[in-house]
Amino acid sequence: MTGLMRATGVVGAAILLALLALALAADQIAPGDPLRMVGRPLLAPFADARFPLGTDQLGRDIWAGLVHGARVSLTVGAVAAAAAICVGILVGTLAGFLGGLADDVLMRVTEAVQTIPTFLLALALVSVLGASAVNVVIAIALSSWPPTARLVRAEVLRVRTLDYVDAARVAGRAPLAIAFLEVLPGALQPVVALIGITVGEAILVESALAFLGLSDPNLQSWGAMIANGRATLRVAPWLVILPGIAIALAVLSVSLTGDSLAARLGARRRA
Amino acid sequence: MDRHFSRRTGAAGLRGSTLLALAAATGLGAAAPAMAQTPQRGGTLIAAADTEPRNLNPAMVASNGVFYVSSKVIEPLAEMDYDEGLRPVLATGWEGSEDGLSITFTLREGVRWHDGEPFTSADVAFSAMEVWKPLQNLGRSIFANLEAVDTPDDLTAVFRFSEPTPVQLIENALPAVSAVLPRHLYEGTEIAENPLNAAPLGTGPFVFAEHRPGEFYRLTRNDDYWAEGLPYLDAIVQRVLPDAGAKAAALETGDIHLTAFSAVPLTDMARLDAIDGVSVIPGGYEGITYHITVEINHRREELANPLVRQALRHAIDTDFLVDVVFLGFATPSTGPVPSSAADFYTDDVPTYDFDPARAESLLDEAGYPRGADGTRFSLRLRPAPWFAQTRDTGDYVRQALQEVGIAVELVTADPGGHIRAVYTEHDFDLAIGSPVWRNDPAISTTILFRGGQPAGVPFANQYGYDDPEMNALIDAAATELDRDARVALYHDFQRKVAEDLPILNLVDFTFITVARDELQNVANNPRWATSSWADTWIAQ
Repeated sequence: MTGLMRATGVVGAAILLALLALALAADQIAPGDPLRMVGRPLLAPFADARFPLGTDQLGRDIWAGLVHGARVSLTVGAVAAAAAICVGILVGTLAGFLGGLADDVLMRVTEAVQTIPTFLLALALVSVLGASAVNVVIAIALSSWPPTARLVRAEVLRVRTLDYVDAARVAGRAPLAIAFLEVLPGALQPVVALIGITVGEAILVESALAFLGLSDPNLQSWGAMIANGRATLRVAPWLVILPGIAIALAVLSVSLTGDSLAARLGARRRA
Repeated sequence: MDRHFSRRTGAAGLRGSTLLALAAATGLGAAAPAMAQTPQRGGTLIAAADTEPRNLNPAMVASNGVFYVSSKVIEPLAEMDYDEGLRPVLATGWEGSEDGLSITFTLREGVRWHDGEPFTSADVAFSAMEVWKPLQNLGRSIFANLEAVDTPDDLTAVFRFSEPTPVQLIENALPAVSAVLPRHLYEGTEIAENPLNAAPLGTGPFVFAEHRPGEFYRLTRNDDYWAEGLPYLDAIVQRVLPDAGAKAAALETGDIHLTAFSAVPLTDMARLDAIDGVSVIPGGYEGITYHITVEINHRREELANPLVRQALRHAIDTDFLVDVVFLGFATPSTGPVPSSAADFYTDDVPTYDFDPARAESLLDEAGYPRGADGTRFSLRLRPAPWFAQTRDTGDYVRQALQEVGIAVELVTADPGGHIRAVYTEHDFDLAIGSPVWRNDPAISTTILFRGGQPAGVPFANQYGYDDPEMNALIDAAATELDRDARVALYHDFQRKVAEDLPILNLVDFTFITVARDELQNVANNPRWATSSWADTWIAQ
């Protein structure tokens, strides 16, 4: 692990922790509903101490929107990614461990889902299910599990031939217990590298759905803020730039943290 | 001759103070001296295209997106006019019979279709009986009682009705519903499938030349137009531009002369107006005023209570909506008739000031006190997704009602889903709607209040509101022949709406045109964007 890698990992983790702190303390930092119209419309950033980052065209506080948006983006991103990874692990372990017909069926389904672009599938799902935070999570989870499933399957195929698995089998443990208690832990390490990517992508998909008006209209989110600011791009570019920076920072920090975590685990494994 | 003209002025629709200030400072002021100049022939007007409707036949689809293109090609019997109220186009005069059962139209002489065939009363009879009445969205109700159109000679068409029909209603409907189609090209064909629907042929000042989907419409001068010396322009091109930002940029650089229907964001108006050579022109849309309404589902027990509906109205600050959501480009409503419609409007109605304290006491009185969490009850609000202003109004109404203890959950859908949810499935508590005022309450307004609409009829009373007195009032006005008596009935109608508040009329708005200063005779009639542009010209 190089010094640069370690440094970017620290920076990523610092940004991520800061965003998490903002999201957790949103109600204390910016109390009240961030969708409330509280000030003069289109105040520029740093012009009014009450609204440090200005207001949008309906007089909503941008700072409050960003802070509460962090909560939505990070929660949706994390929950959706966790759900996607769980589905992926389940499918990958079963396919790799059972082999044969079960493997064929599960992998063909995985490939079928993978041929549909993640965002299009999520878009279709939310259009059908309706725009709410829970549905957005479901849509992202259902459209982004295949990479995890394929990775886990490959690892399971490798691990299941190792001696200690044979030993468990000889000891008479149930096949499913062997799959999930013996094989899976050994196959999980590379999945850590996928966490950063999956969470980052989930945040991006959530923002893109919100940008298209397919997020929960009762919650402020970064993507919705950008969509809202697009009409005023020429007179109030900060309405687009600020949430844009927020999304970039969130995805970057998650990705850097994930990479650094994976590299550290990899180094330990080689050692 | 039963031609009752009302004087309308350009300023009638512009009540908002910001709007007047803007008009005085810019567009209208600048246009005045230019009109004194002698019009110049020639030049191509390049405008931003609106939507690209699949069917451009205005006799079938009476909608602004269709008119924007086809009103230059296909003409109505009469068009709206600021000075005369109604300006004759293909009809030169009309007269209603005493019993209200017939209206006789005298048609213009010497008019030819773009293919050279003469225009006659047979074209009018065919359009009315075969297209307006059975196929057109607005004509279906206006001409429901039309039995036959007699054609005693080539220049006379006599409309015969089975029930007394007010001439005033027909007159007010003419600009939008009376586009005349060439019988010789439509008769005997499947009208809805006729290829001319995509490449219209009419009698208008411009000939439809070409449509390249996703690129442009091109209309060229009709050298054989019936009005001597018109049109002034050689051609009109409507360019398809990707979004509002691109339209604003094209205006700045002079790539286009014109955007209509508020195609650039309201927040860009002040910036564009400050640019040399570009003017923001309010006005020219009084004939197509939109309302912003809160549609109410009376099937909800709380909302069926008149006190609750009054409380909702008191809780909403329409001045805030005008100032913030519409940036001054709107007027607070007092009811279902906009104040710019001088013929029918009355301000002698109950009004509801913005008064949250009064709203709270009304809700208490209605039996819905605040609970332990400060909430009285919860409602689901569906804002219509088609205008930024309907969505923003939804955000504001949510906040305003939460202020008085009513929890509001926003529910969004695409346009198709929204129309189905509200007008077919009645799956809403409140909705933000945008009905259109079309010059006469009987055209598209009373349908919002008349009970007994079958589920599935959009932009109609799907609210579960069915009041015998209201129904009787609407029915009486529909067949009242005397103009003054009819107007009086519609005054009663406005009072009844303000008393009952079946839905809440919040603000009225029209669109804004942004044009380059070389373009002349812009916004010079109340339906300008959807009129023929025969007298529009470019100063060189």
